Amino acid sequence: MMITLTYYLLVSAGLFSIGLYIILSKKNAIQILIGIELMLNAAILNLIAFGKFDQLKNSGQTFALFTIVLAAASTAVALAIVLNVYRRYRTIDPGKVNQLKD
Amino acid sequence: MLVTVMFYIMAAIVLGSALYVAASKNLVRSVFMFFVTLFALAGLYVLCLADFVAVTQVVVYVGGILVLILFAFMLSGREALEGLQQHNNRLLSVNNLPALLLASLFFIVLANIFIKAHVEDAGWLKQAVASHNVITPQTITINNLGVNLMTNYLLPFEVISILLLMALVGAAHLSRKEETA
Amino acid sequence: MTYTLLHNASTINYALAAVVLPLIASIINLLLPGKSGKVSGFISAGAILVSVVLAAFVFANVWNNPLIHVQQLWFTIGATPVYAGMLLNNLSVFMLLLVTVIALPVHIYSTAYIKPAEQNRYFTYLSFFCFSMLALVVIDSLVLLYAFWELVGFSSYLLIGFWFTKDSAVQANKKAFIMNRIGDIGLLSAIIILFAQFHTFDLVQLFGDNGLVYRSDVQNGMWVSPAGQMSEVWQYVAFIGIFLAVAAKSAQFPLHTWLPDAMEGPTSVSALIHAATMVAAGVFLLGRVYPMFNVYELNTLAIIGCFTAFLAATIALTQNDLKRILAYSTISQLGYMIMAMGINAYASSLFHLATHAFFKCLLFLCAGVIIHEVQHIKDEHRLDIDPQNILYMGGLRKKMPLTFIATVVGCLALVGLPLTSGYLSKDSILIQAFEWSDGKSAWYKIVPVSILLTSCLTAFYVARLIFKVFFGEFKLKEILPNIHLHISDGSWAFRIPLIFLSLCCLFPLFSLHPLLYEHAWLHKGFVPTDYMARESIYHTIIPAAINIASIFVAYWAFAVYIQQRKLVFSQTNFLFRLSYHHWYIDMFYQQIVVKAVLLLSNGFFWFDRTIVDGFLHLLQRIISALSGIAAWTDRYIVDGTLLVITQLVKLIGDFFRGFQSGRVQYYLFSMLAIVLAVFIIKLLI
Repeated sequence: MMITLTYYLLVSAGLFSIGLYIILSKKNAIQILIGIELMLNAAILNLIAFGKFDQLKNSGQTFALFTIVLAAASTAVALAIVLNVYRRYRTIDPGKVNQLKD
Repeated sequence: MLVTVMFYIMAAIVLGSALYVAASKNLVRSVFMFFVTLFALAGLYVLCLADFVAVTQVVVYVGGILVLILFAFMLSGREALEGLQQHNNRLLSVNNLPALLLASLFFIVLANIFIKAHVEDAGWLKQAVASHNVITPQTITINNLGVNLMTNYLLPFEVISILLLMALVGAAHLSRKEETA
Repeated sequence: MTYTLLHNASTINYALAAVVLPLIASIINLLLPGKSGKVSGFISAGAILVSVVLAAFVFANVWNNPLIHVQQLWFTIGATPVYAGMLLNNLSVFMLLLVTVIALPVHIYSTAYIKPAEQNRYFTYLSFFCFSMLALVVIDSLVLLYAFWELVGFSSYLLIGFWFTKDSAVQANKKAFIMNRIGDIGLLSAIIILFAQFHTFDLVQLFGDNGLVYRSDVQNGMWVSPAGQMSEVWQYVAFIGIFLAVAAKSAQFPLHTWLPDAMEGPTSVSALIHAATMVAAGVFLLGRVYPMFNVYELNTLAIIGCFTAFLAATIALTQNDLKRILAYSTISQLGYMIMAMGINAYASSLFHLATHAFFKCLLFLCAGVIIHEVQHIKDEHRLDIDPQNILYMGGLRKKMPLTFIATVVGCLALVGLPLTSGYLSKDSILIQAFEWSDGKSAWYKIVPVSILLTSCLTAFYVARLIFKVFFGEFKLKEILPNIHLHISDGSWAFRIPLIFLSLCCLFPLFSLHPLLYEHAWLHKGFVPTDYMARESIYHTIIPAAINIASIFVAYWAFAVYIQQRKLVFSQTNFLFRLSYHHWYIDMFYQQIVVKAVLLLSNGFFWFDRTIVDGFLHLLQRIISALSGIAAWTDRYIVDGTLLVITQLVKLIGDFFRGFQSGRVQYYLFSMLAIVLAVFIIKLLI
């Protein structure tokens, strides 16, 4: 059967949910970073899937490229932050970093 | 026909490895499975006729970001690793139930939307198909991308480069060593 | 005319001065610092001396001349004006002169009798009494008459209880005041009834010649007067009121028991007040309101007066206290006066008032001297005897000759032997009593016969007194043989009053003819203008009979007490005990009346303490309970509501605070949950 756009969207949705699950349930900051990456990737897949239908301006693929670059930048900064958090709190469990609670 | 099979294989690998990443309690294993996910994703990109993006994905994402993450915790020291590996993350433990619930609900909602939306029937889509504005396997995407980047998307291109600079400076500053007094 | 007016004006001024001077003396004595001693005596005596002189002037101007009556508007209530003023007629000026003349020797006597430390207070009271009495006799309005009547009673109260540290004195003055009060109620009721009937308080308008009372009559059961009419019952009620007042003031049965107890006061007080003047106020009142009585009321007066005279004489027979004998003698003689008023012998009554004043005052002053001397012996030798008891006395005529002679003169006047003033007045009453009972039924004879008997009794007890005190041996020496006696007549302050009063007890003061009372100028001043002296057989028989009987009785007393012959009556039989215990009247009052009143007052006290206070306590407890409830409500319900609200708010706050857990994943989770919820709702709608 023909692979329509919807299938790619479904895969993207599945990836997004998994990434969401990882963010919400992991006790490790780096694993959460991975979760974020997964969600980003889901979004990129979405972009690519729609990008097939615009050859003139090729916005889909272009923006997918931009997104990949953004993901890289954010990951780099996030890792630096995680490092600082570790230095300060001696742990990278986000559940334990709750000094801002009421 | 082949495309369909390929698609299903790629999709299965993507989702399966993503699930493993979610379920694994070992950080290293999950990172490595993430590798696999990214590769499979790249394959999916190819199937969507976005070859340059697929290659960029492999080079930048896998080769850059993932390696960075690996370096980050590999070089952290034994105490950090020990601490990390002590968590018992079972997929179906009670602590994770709300997250699981939320995630599955989200998936259901999203899937519902995607299916109900009938995206192929969108106006611009049909119009694009009608005016042969579709990327075909014969299209040379790299040319297309190059031209577009330099003409239509020049501004975002430059902005992205500035952003990268900022990220670079920021990360470098954030992770500098504290001067011991 | 002008002369008369000026004459009247000066007379009125003299009278006013005579009345007010003792008041000024009293106020000066009040303001003097305590223990001024002799000075207060001089002030009071000086005031009385000037009053005597002024009273003599007034007497000379008014006696047997037209009466002087001046008055001023005092205040008006509604449509009724009340006047205050002075009435000077024969009766007023007679009493004025009598009171001042009797008061003068008493004042002089008191300066020696009362201890100097107490003289200040004594003379304040005595002068105040003189003022009240003098004002009483010259006042013209019934309202002010009542006011001064009360003041006289009040002064008597102060003076009876002069030595207030003695409990017996305090009881006596309380008794006197309360009994006088009963009389005052009677007088007030009578005044009110008279006013309701006649609409005026003025004595001249009411009782003067051709006054309202003369022109009123009892017809068909109604008391009719020119000013109005009312049921005749009120006439009798008014009489009862007047009678009560007279009985209380002049110590008639049944209100006579205060007078013997009033002997607790100083003897000079007894002499002035309770012998001569205050007790005579009752007779004076009768004299003022005489025209209002009808024949039944007069008969009542006669009977009561006669009975009282007899009663008192019988009691005096057995008493051992010197002053008490004299007190009962006073009651008896007052009975004579009241009886005389009752048998229409108005003039004789007033005549006897005057003579009695002199000889009774004299007798009391002599008794005072004797008691003073025996008191000296008691203090000197520290004995525990009653200085007034005649059983301790005897044979004093050698030691106190002047006192003896004065007492004998006074007693002769009391008995009524010829050549004394008492003979004139007493026999006039006796004769008129027999004349009155003439022509009436046999029952009326009881009055003169009992009066005759009383006179004999008087002779007996008077003789007993003289023989016990002055003859025989001094009994105290027989009991305590070793004491030395320094008894004498006392200082000039004692002697001169005694001499003066003794001279006044003889006939020349009152009449040039020693044996006929009709010639006495005093008697002539009071008889009504249409009086026709009846020369009946009684005028000769009665004086002869009574005098012979008196001498015989006196000799009998001599035989019993001096020659120690056996008594006809034993000392322990019923009559003796009846007499000795004052016919048990006092005991009766004490048991029945006093106890009832005390019971009632205790009942009221209980009521007030238990029920009234109990009610208040109950109210208080109710209010406390209510306030307790209010406090509980405030604490638990009002504050409780507040507390619940705050807890609720805290609960809600805590709930929402739980969202700020500080964990990033939780924030993300909640955010996404809401987004999801919105998605789902959008999907479903």
